[in-house]
Amino acid sequence: MMYFRAFFNRSLHKVHMEKMFGIILKVRWMIILLVSAVTVFLAIQIPGIRINSDVVSSLPDDDPHAVLFRKIGSTYGANNTGMVILETDNVFTAELIEHVRLVTDTLKEIEGISAVTSLTNIMYINESENGMEVGPLVDEYDLPDTPEELALLRERVYSNKNVRGIIVSEDATSTIIVFSLFDDTNIHSLASTVKAKMESLNLPEKIYYAGSPMMVSSISRLIASDLTRLLPIAFLLITIVLFLGFRSLRGVVVPLLTAILSIIWVIGIMSLTGSDMSMVSNNIPIVLLAVATAYTIHVLNRIDQEKGDMNQAIITAMSYVFVPVILAALTTMTGFFSFILGSYLTMIRDFGIFTALGTFIALLLSIFFVPALISATGWKNRDKENERWEAGKTFFYDYFQNPLQNLLYNHPKAILVTWILITVVNTGGIILIKRSVDVKEYFRKGDPTRLAEEIMTSKFGGTKPVFVLFRGDVQNPDFLKTMLRAEEHMAKNPGVAGTQSVADLILDINEAFGQGRAIPDDRALIEQIWFLLEGNENLQRLVSDDLDEAIIISRFTSSDMKAKREFEDYMNIFISENSTADCSIEITGMPFIEARMDRSLINGQLASLAIAVIVVIAIVSAVLRSFISGLIAAIPVISTIIILFGIMGYAAVPLNIATVLVASIAMGIGIDYSIHVITHFNSSLKEGASVNKALEDTIGISGKAIVINVISVSAGFMVLLFSEMVPLEHFGLLITLSMIGSGLSAMTLLPVILILAHRNEKINTQQNS
Amino acid sequence: MKVFINKITLLPILLFAILYDASSQDPMAVLNKMDEIMFSPKDRQGKIVIILTDKTGKEKVREAEMFEKGPERKLYRYTKPESQAGMATLTLPGSVMWVYLPALGNPKKVSILSKDQSFNNTDFSYEDMAQTPYAERYTPEFINSEGDAHILSMVPKSGKSNYSRVIVTINKTYGYPITMEYFNQLGKKFKEASYKYERIGKYWNASEVVMKDLEKDHSTKILLTDVRFDQGIPDDLFRVENLKPLKTGQ
Repeated sequence: MMYFRAFFNRSLHKVHMEKMFGIILKVRWMIILLVSAVTVFLAIQIPGIRINSDVVSSLPDDDPHAVLFRKIGSTYGANNTGMVILETDNVFTAELIEHVRLVTDTLKEIEGISAVTSLTNIMYINESENGMEVGPLVDEYDLPDTPEELALLRERVYSNKNVRGIIVSEDATSTIIVFSLFDDTNIHSLASTVKAKMESLNLPEKIYYAGSPMMVSSISRLIASDLTRLLPIAFLLITIVLFLGFRSLRGVVVPLLTAILSIIWVIGIMSLTGSDMSMVSNNIPIVLLAVATAYTIHVLNRIDQEKGDMNQAIITAMSYVFVPVILAALTTMTGFFSFILGSYLTMIRDFGIFTALGTFIALLLSIFFVPALISATGWKNRDKENERWEAGKTFFYDYFQNPLQNLLYNHPKAILVTWILITVVNTGGIILIKRSVDVKEYFRKGDPTRLAEEIMTSKFGGTKPVFVLFRGDVQNPDFLKTMLRAEEHMAKNPGVAGTQSVADLILDINEAFGQGRAIPDDRALIEQIWFLLEGNENLQRLVSDDLDEAIIISRFTSSDMKAKREFEDYMNIFISENSTADCSIEITGMPFIEARMDRSLINGQLASLAIAVIVVIAIVSAVLRSFISGLIAAIPVISTIIILFGIMGYAAVPLNIATVLVASIAMGIGIDYSIHVITHFNSSLKEGASVNKALEDTIGISGKAIVINVISVSAGFMVLLFSEMVPLEHFGLLITLSMIGSGLSAMTLLPVILILAHRNEKINTQQNS
Repeated sequence: MKVFINKITLLPILLFAILYDASSQDPMAVLNKMDEIMFSPKDRQGKIVIILTDKTGKEKVREAEMFEKGPERKLYRYTKPESQAGMATLTLPGSVMWVYLPALGNPKKVSILSKDQSFNNTDFSYEDMAQTPYAERYTPEFINSEGDAHILSMVPKSGKSNYSRVIVTINKTYGYPITMEYFNQLGKKFKEASYKYERIGKYWNASEVVMKDLEKDHSTKILLTDVRFDQGIPDDLFRVENLKPLKTGQ
């Protein structure tokens, strides 16, 4: 309680801060040892972290569509299917058929693959003059190679609903070989093996890979590539910036050390708690590298201002910088925490939690570990380093501080108007912002995974599964007829590409028995037909073992969100009219989940931003003990965020699972610059300085730290421009722009507001006197 | 000296016995003997119980009356489960099967286009169920003798088999198979069968055969009871008309 009161009472605050840091310096070695021990312990946990790039596993547990989707995926193996696509000029050639057989046989031999279906082994049921024919479409020991045999094959393919557009494209230029995995198969090593084996065949056809295991594996590959490539680059860039800023070894090593320790602690905690590294959380190291250095920069900057005994300098500096650094960290953490409430995917929530945790750890290290380390090592800047620092200060004063001060004092209204104009213009861009939830768009154009998705969409109806689940007595004729009606209803929607269910198998056999293509009215006949279906691999994908559930499998071709919503409404009408106690119907699939993700992008963005703005203003107002000050501190950042959204709209940068994070992060980090400016400005005024002098002090001291901070944070995030994943590339670009914007507005817009506000006060004071 | 002379005398006799034993392990002879055990009966009838077990251990049980004659005639009339009671299947030469569904009224011909296909949705393929002697279908090679068993490796003579080879363990004394291990075209074992034989009259009967699909973790157990051999089953029984239930008195 005493320290809480002291926090807000300035004179009490200084006394208690100095006392606290005095104690910290006394136990400095214990702090250093403790930090070292924790670091070693958590570093050992890091190899245990798993990479999980499966979006499906990140779907929330409280969303009915997501829950049903996962249940159907695990019960019917729907999420364990991969595809090899062969693209050629004409599928119906002897050579291509032979290659399909080769691919089929090669896939069958791979450990972990439970079944392979292709043109050379897909079963078909046909009524012939000799009765019913049951067998593979192609005799693998006697492949068709004459024009007549190939023409017959073509005819059979295009007369069979289970093959046309499913295994062979309508234009006969592509065929797919579908493989299923055992439940416990390691998809990453399997995906690598599949690709390696296919490459070793040296086939002349173009080969693509699609399906959930291949997609998940590709994303994991990108995550690993980003981590190994980008982190060292970010590290190097920030090193260069820190060196240019501080011109000293200490100015580089200590901030980087804090950042690295924060990263080790967070990743180690993630591993300990069983949290996976996702395509979003793989950016935590880069975010922390950029953010965590900031607090140490301010601490070192302030220590360097104090002369005399090292320990006393540390104590004095920390008592000044303690509040602003905590404030900066709290606001940044608020920005990250805001995702927890607003996001749909758990991977985004986890990103928020662990980045906030990393920020908190960086804060603790900056205010406890860094002073302890400097004191214990007695690490001062050497004379040469001090000379470089002074030279740097002169350079900074000549080329930045002085010109900026002149500009601010001589043209405050012009600067204000410019900012207002830019903000208003960009407000128009906000309505142009598009949203993107399609996983395909995570990959660059021309990426093989994206190309494969495009081929699957254009030639095979896409890879976005739709499942309709029916619960009831599967062998009941009415049940099967309802399934058939549902398929017919779905087929009328232009976005649907083909449907498959057990009802189709019953139709095939019944037709082959000469009974016509209809569901038998006699249950006994259905039960007897079932005898011929039992053991059929296809059946296991469509019906539960207890015969109390069956699914329709379909694919949705359109990426258009409106089409997806219309399809959802279209099917909901059918379900409400046909679902009964004896035959309950539910629907799920990627279109529905993507529609929810799309809605959540907007809701999540608004919610997280609102939370971030409100909490940040509240925190700043509380510490500055003025709501007006809190509002004023927020103006530059809010303006920056509006400009950011405008740029997104005009430049067609979509809102996606990565860019949805930008605004709240920008709020949380960008406000730091305003806090430092206002705190320093108010502090100087309180000590009796004029507005001019207060501004000069602010820009001279906090301004330099802000500039170094903006450049180092931007450098860190700019590295994401080289990310393999498109959303992260956008994320890096937008964060960089927002950091530059926040820094610029804190150094221009905010001082102008303060100047104008105090000019008015001065005029009023003169008038009153 | 006497003992020494006895040992010298015994040595060649022992060597001769070993060599004689080795030369009698002619793989084709062993296989022929096995074929004799398995395919000698002119006809066979009895009750068959087929138990299908999936990877979770769940079982499906079918029961039928079975009639077999020669290598390729089989008639099964199903009695259980109740939903399939009255169904019948008739297998004839040329990979032709007729199916009778009571609800349909008339039998329907089903052409099986591939011997790899599952026989009546069990883990046995049509190739496994063929009554053609193994010696006609496979080329055997002797691997080893262990205890009371010979182990042979059999390679299909036809290029159209699903198997690259089958390793069979055969009872040395009586000649019936104990186990068969099936290898796919890439040399990987993917199915295995085990046999239990019992003597019925002058024949050996496989009272229990279990085929396990190692990749799917699924098995089929066939139990044969009330088996009678050489009953003089007429050829007429294996006619399409007889798929329908027999009228009283027949």
